[in-house]
Amino acid sequence: MNVGKLDILLVEDNQDDMDLALHALKQGKLANNIVVVRDGEEALDFLFCRGAFAQRSFEHPPKLVLLDLKLPKVDGMEVLKQVKSDPRTKTIPIVIMTSSKEERDLVAGYNLGANSYIQKPVDFDQFRETVKSIGLYWLVINQPVPVRVMKEVPKAELISR
Amino acid sequence: MEISKQFDAPIETKLRSRVTSGFIVAVLLTVFMGFSSWRSVQLTADHADWVAHTYSVMDVLQLTVRHAIEVENSARTFAWTGQDALLTRYETARGSIAQDERELRHLTADNPSQQRRLDALEPQLRAVLQSASKIVAKSRQMRAGPGADEALEIEKLTDSVRTTIQEMHAEEMLLLSQRTQRTKTGRRWTTFIVVTGVFVGAGLLVLAGLGVNREIDVGARARAHIRTLNAELEQRVVQRTAALQSEITVRNQAQAALQETQEGFRVLVDGVKEYAIYMLDPEGRVISWNAGAARIKGYRSEEILGQDFSRFYTPEDVEAGEPARELRESLSKGRFEDEGWRVRKDGSAFWANVVITPMYDDRGNHRGFSKIARDISERKRAEEVLAGQAEELAHSRQALEAQSLMLQSVLDSMAEGLAAADEQGKFLIWNRAAENIMGYGPTDLATQEWSKHYGTYLPDGITPFPTEQLPLVRAIHGEVTSSEIFVRNPKITGGAWIEVRGSPLRDKEGVNRGGVVAFRDITQRKADEREIQKLNDELEHRVVERTAQLETANKELEAFSYSVSHDLRAPLRHIGGFSKLLMEEFGTSLNPVAQRHLERIQAGTQKMGLLIDELLNLARVGRQALNLQPTGLNSIVAEVIAILQPESEGRQVEWDISELPAVECDPILIKQVFQNLLSNALKFTRPCIGADGSARVGMPAAASHAVIEVSHREENGQPVFMVRDNGVGFSMKYVDKLFGVFQRLHSTDEFEGTGIGLVTVQRIVHKHGGRVWAEGEPDKGATFYFTLGVGKQAESKSNQAKAGGQS
Repeated sequence: MNVGKLDILLVEDNQDDMDLALHALKQGKLANNIVVVRDGEEALDFLFCRGAFAQRSFEHPPKLVLLDLKLPKVDGMEVLKQVKSDPRTKTIPIVIMTSSKEERDLVAGYNLGANSYIQKPVDFDQFRETVKSIGLYWLVINQPVPVRVMKEVPKAELISR
Repeated sequence: MEISKQFDAPIETKLRSRVTSGFIVAVLLTVFMGFSSWRSVQLTADHADWVAHTYSVMDVLQLTVRHAIEVENSARTFAWTGQDALLTRYETARGSIAQDERELRHLTADNPSQQRRLDALEPQLRAVLQSASKIVAKSRQMRAGPGADEALEIEKLTDSVRTTIQEMHAEEMLLLSQRTQRTKTGRRWTTFIVVTGVFVGAGLLVLAGLGVNREIDVGARARAHIRTLNAELEQRVVQRTAALQSEITVRNQAQAALQETQEGFRVLVDGVKEYAIYMLDPEGRVISWNAGAARIKGYRSEEILGQDFSRFYTPEDVEAGEPARELRESLSKGRFEDEGWRVRKDGSAFWANVVITPMYDDRGNHRGFSKIARDISERKRAEEVLAGQAEELAHSRQALEAQSLMLQSVLDSMAEGLAAADEQGKFLIWNRAAENIMGYGPTDLATQEWSKHYGTYLPDGITPFPTEQLPLVRAIHGEVTSSEIFVRNPKITGGAWIEVRGSPLRDKEGVNRGGVVAFRDITQRKADEREIQKLNDELEHRVVERTAQLETANKELEAFSYSVSHDLRAPLRHIGGFSKLLMEEFGTSLNPVAQRHLERIQAGTQKMGLLIDELLNLARVGRQALNLQPTGLNSIVAEVIAILQPESEGRQVEWDISELPAVECDPILIKQVFQNLLSNALKFTRPCIGADGSARVGMPAAASHAVIEVSHREENGQPVFMVRDNGVGFSMKYVDKLFGVFQRLHSTDEFEGTGIGLVTVQRIVHKHGGRVWAEGEPDKGATFYFTLGVGKQAESKSNQAKAGGQS
C-alpha cells in the first residue's frame, strides 16, 4: 500500500456495500489508492495515526473519506465529530454515504462539518453514478488544502492531542 | 299676709318651744345646783360642828383625867403633907369632876357606846373620890399619911379611870377622823358641784347665745323675704292697675268697634250672595232680606218683607205643617237644621240646607228667628256622583283584590323564589318558593341583619355574605346583578346553593322604588357540575396518560421507521447491485430466460425501494408538527408541475390552473399533497397499456389529450380546492377504498403505484383540520376535493395538538 499516495479512505462495515462501492469506484477508475477500514475505531486510529496506524503521518491525509453512519464500536457521527473538531484533521473532506435519509441525520451530519451527505441509492446504476461523481469531484476537481499549511500547525499542539 | 303667716308660723312655734324648753332646763339646772350647793355647805357645816363637838368631848375627857389625877394627887399629898391649901385643890378638883361628869353626859348624849362607857366611868370616879375622901378623912383623923394599901388602891382606881377615859378618848379620836374625812368629802363635793355648775352654766349660755344668733339670722332672712314679697306685690299691683287701665281702654275701643262692626255686619249680611240670610218675626213673617236670599229665592226684598215664610216650602210640606213645626223645634232646641226641597219664586225647587235659630233680646224676650238657607243642589249632585264613584271604586277594588289574589297564587305556584322589597328594605313580596328555598319567610329586620338571619355565605361556604353585596340590597340601590350564594341556617342545615338575579324596581318615572330578586335552588346543578368537573379531570388525566402512551408508541414507530429506512434498504441495494453486476458482467453468457429473471429482480428491488420511501414519508407526516405560514398555492402548484415534468414528457397535457388564494398551511406538506394528486392525475390520464403491451380498447379519446384542472371555490366561507382530470376515473362504489393504505382500484399492470399516495394526502389534510373527498365516474375522469381548516382554525388546532404533545 502506498502510504504517500492515499486517495480515499472508505469506512464501511458491510461487506456487500464495501464490494459494491469498490466496484463502482473501480469502474470509475478511482480505486487505485483506497484504504478500507471496517469500524469507527479503526477509522479514528487511521486518521489520527495511532494504534495499528501509528506509523502513518498527518502530512499525508486521505483526499477523501467515505463514511458510513452505522458502524460497530464507534459510530459514524462520533468519527465525524472527532475528525472535524481536531485542527490536524478537520480539513480532510468527509462525505457521508449512508442508507438513512432521515432528516435529523442530515442536519446532524452537516452541523458536525460533513462536506457532503449522500444517500446510497437502491438502484445500482444511480449508486455507481453517484460514487463516480463524488470521486471525480473530490479527487480531481476539488483543490485540497496545501500540505504546507498542515506543517505550520505547531508541534506542541500535535503532541498534546 | 296669708303668705307671711304661713311662712312665720312654723318658725315661731319651733323657736318658742325651743326657747321654753331651754329656759326650763336652765331653771331646773340652776335650782338643782343651788340646792346641791346649799346642801353641801350645810353638810360641811354640820361636819365641822361635829368635829368641834368631838374636840370639846376630848377636851372634857382630858380635863376629867386631869381632875381625877388632881384629886388623887392632892388627896395623897394632903395625906402626906397635911397642907390645907392642898385640900382646896382637892375640893376644887372634886367639884370639877362632878361638873365634868355632867358635861360628858351631856356631850355624849348622841353616842350610846360613850354613854355606856360613861356609865362605867362614873362608879370608877366615885370610887376614886370615895377612896380620896377616905384618905383625906383618915389623914384628918389621924394626921398621918395614908397607908400603903390605901395609896395603892387609889392608884389602881385612878388607873382604871384613866383606862376608861382613854377608851373614850380613842373612840372620840375615831369619830374625829371619821368626821374630818366626811368634812373633806363634803368640801370636795361642794367644789365639784360649784365647778360643774359654772361650766354647765357657761355651756348653756354659749348654746343660748348660738341659738339666739341663729334665730336672729332666720328672722333677718324672713324679713328680707317679706320685703321682696312686698316689693313684688307692689309691682303686681302697679301692673294690674296698668292692665286694668288698658283693659278699660280696649273695652272702650271694643265698644266703639262693636258699634262699627254691627253696622259693617249688617252690610256684610246684606251683601252675602251664597247664603240666604233673613229674619222672621215670632209669627214667621219675613222682616229682613239679604242679597243672597234675593238671589236664591228670586224675591226682591220689597215684595217679600211682611210675607209668611211658608211660601218657601213645597205645598206638601206646607200641608204637613212643616214650617210651623220647624219653628217650634227651633224654639225648643235652640236650633233647627235640615236639608230639603224648597221652592223659588218661579216655582222651581232646589235642595237647600236650612238653619233656623230663635233670637232673644237682652231681657230674654223672644224676638223672632234668624234663618240661613243655602242652595246645595250642586253639592247634592256632586255627592250623588261621588257615591257613584265610590261604588265604582269598591268594584275596582274588588277586582284588584281578585287580581292580587291571583298574583299571589301565581307567585306561590312559581318554582323560582321571588322576593321584593321597597327602598327601606321592607318586604313587599315573598312567595312560597322563596320560603321553601331560604327556609324562612320575609323578615322585619333591617337590611344589615339579613345576611345573618338567612345564613347567606360566599361561595367558599364559610365567609358570611357581605350584606351590602346581597343582590336584593344592590337591587334596591339600583344595580342589576347575578350571583351565586350559599345558604345555611337552622332550617336548611345541609346548606343549599342558590342562583340569584336582582334588579331594581322602578316606577313610571324611572325612580327607584326598591328591588326584586328571583332565585332558584341550584344545589343539584352544582353537584352535577362538580361531578362533571370530576369526570373532566379524570378524562383529562386519561388523555394525558394516553398521550404519553401514544408518544411512547410514536417514538417506537420512529425508531422502527429509522430502522426500516436504513436496514431494509441496505439488503435491497445489495440485491439490486449484485443482480446488476451479474447482468453486466455475465449477461452475455446467460440465456435470455435467466436475463429476464435478473431484470425482474431489478424491477422488484426498485419497487420495494419506492414502497419503503413512501411508507417513510407517510410516517413522517404523521409525526411531524405543522409549520404553518401564509402560503401562495399557485407557486407550489407550479413547482410541483415542474417536478412532474419528466413524467409528462412526450405526452400532450393541458394544465388548467386557476388563481388560488394564499392560505395558512405547512408549505412542505401541502406541496406533497399537490404532488401526489397531480401525479395521480397525470398517471390516470395516460393512455392505458394492457398487459400485452397494446392500447386498451374503449379508452376515452380524451385520454390521449390529458386535461388537468386545479381550481377552488368558496363553501361556507372556506376555500375548497379541487384537482380534476379527464382520465380513467373510478366507480363511486369503491370510493371508500380510495383513501385506504395499500388500497388500489387498478392493477399495477395498468397503473403502477404503491397505494400510499392518497393516504398521505388524507393524513396531511386531516392534520390541517381539513377534509378530503373524491368524485369519479369510470372513463369520465376523477375529481379530488380538499379543504384546509384555514386561518385561525387550523392554527388553533395545531396549537392544541402541540399543547397535547407537550403535556
